[in-house]
Amino acid sequence: MLEILNITKRFHTLVAVDNLTLDVPQGEVLGVLGPNGAGKTTLFKLIAGFLKPDRGLIRSSAGAWPTIGYKPERLLYPNHLRVHEYLNMVAAISNLPRGRIKKAVSESLERVDLTYAADKRIKECSKGMRQRLGLAQAIIGDPQLFLLDEPSNGLDPEGQAEICRQIDNLHQEGKTIVLASHQLQEVTQVCTHLVIMNQGSIHYENQMKAALAERPHTRILVNRDLSTLQSLLMHLHHDIELSDREIVLNYDAIALRPNVLRILLSNGYDIIRIEQSRVTLAEIYAAAVQ
Amino acid sequence: MNQRILAVSAYLFRSFLFSLAGLLYILLALAYYMVLFDPRQLTPDPDYYILVLGLLGLALSFLVTLSIAARANNASHFPLIVRLPSRIEYLTAVFFSSTLYASIIQFVIALIALVANGPSLDFREYLLIPPLWISGNVLFAVLSLHATDLVTAGWSRVYVFATIGLLLYLQSGLDVLSDWLSNLFNQFGNTLLATGLDALATLAFDMANLFSEGSSSALGSALSLVFWPFKAIVEAAINGHFTPLQALAPAFLMTYAALLFVLAAKFFSKKDLFLSE
Repeated sequence: MLEILNITKRFHTLVAVDNLTLDVPQGEVLGVLGPNGAGKTTLFKLIAGFLKPDRGLIRSSAGAWPTIGYKPERLLYPNHLRVHEYLNMVAAISNLPRGRIKKAVSESLERVDLTYAADKRIKECSKGMRQRLGLAQAIIGDPQLFLLDEPSNGLDPEGQAEICRQIDNLHQEGKTIVLASHQLQEVTQVCTHLVIMNQGSIHYENQMKAALAERPHTRILVNRDLSTLQSLLMHLHHDIELSDREIVLNYDAIALRPNVLRILLSNGYDIIRIEQSRVTLAEIYAAAVQ
Repeated sequence: MNQRILAVSAYLFRSFLFSLAGLLYILLALAYYMVLFDPRQLTPDPDYYILVLGLLGLALSFLVTLSIAARANNASHFPLIVRLPSRIEYLTAVFFSSTLYASIIQFVIALIALVANGPSLDFREYLLIPPLWISGNVLFAVLSLHATDLVTAGWSRVYVFATIGLLLYLQSGLDVLSDWLSNLFNQFGNTLLATGLDALATLAFDMANLFSEGSSSALGSALSLVFWPFKAIVEAAINGHFTPLQALAPAFLMTYAALLFVLAAKFFSKKDLFLSE
């Protein structure tokens, strides 16, 4: 659906995007994470065509126009217009026949639960309403590719959940979505594919499921200090970590869990808790941007 | 394409009409009318009416385009631009809305001036007005696009206006420049002759002769041709009708406008868009 081949974008001496290659298949929800200044917004502007790459190629097979629904990071709108007037204009430039415009606008308002604000001036809309308006204008014209830059930025938890639901609905319809966000929970929830950028290049890329299945570990919490068993346990496997009252079995060492439990019980320890864990997105992110 | 351009044009037009800047231009045009077409003074001649209101159209087209392009150069329009198959459609909408806005004000002021204390124009003079005003308005609107942040790419506006400035300077000061260049090549030729480089000296003297022709030289003729449509339009307005040759002048201006628009479109479509927030 979207193919990015070796693109580089410089602003004078700053390399904003550095030889980046990315393939986003049809129907994927790609989450782009990265610290501020990592090049996410530049990447979005390159895909949207606002910036021209110094090198490389961006190919999209999104089909009939309009190909892209774009929700920019900043919630800037023509504030003097009413919500429905703005959406009418977006619909009019989206190749919709005149007779379909009104219906398309009301459908998009309905989808983002903003019908009640159709006659409101945009300047009177709250931040949450403006975020939903951003999504409503992106939906109009049924584009196949969505670029959503910080879609739930500044929203309360309820608003964030609503945006997640909307993105999930678009995913169910088979749309391709590229999403930049600092909300790790949101990315974990809606994205099928994950990219972590730093300093203009990709530092981590994986399917979301595969990423979260990485580095499994088991934590065993006991009732007293483990120092007496330290040498015995550490010699069992190099992937065993020990702290005061906790043993962490990483990767292959997980298979040794029965042995470890047997040693602990035979030495008079009480098992307080056993926890099977996977790596979190926060951990993946921290490792990638370090 | 028409629906998209019309939708963006209508939006830009309406936004500008209800803005302070939009109102300001209407007030400026009224002030212009009050000063130059004061109903208490003598009835103006037809050529005065055509040329002075033509000038109003040129000024309005230039200034309104600057203002509308500045408004179009706003980051709130990113979601609109991404929906257009070509950026040139957006530029066309900016041009179209600006020219329309300026022309409507010009038309209304012209109507007021005609009704209040206007000259009695004959049929030929009425026919003269549309091509003359429209071609001028279109040319100045397109020229103005090059002065805007929306279109300018790198040093493009400096190049465009420096070229126009140079052409204007050459046209007005060609004789002075020709004399200077002629003397320069003569001196150079004498120096070459003194050093025994006869062949090069002959070449330098030939160049000096060429420049000594001044405004009658090939360069002078070319420059006269470039600026001929403006001269022809003024003459037609004074005479009250177009001669067959002068009737081509508006078409020349439209051709200039088309070339400048193609250049503006090239700059706009190739540049990185950094719309202001």
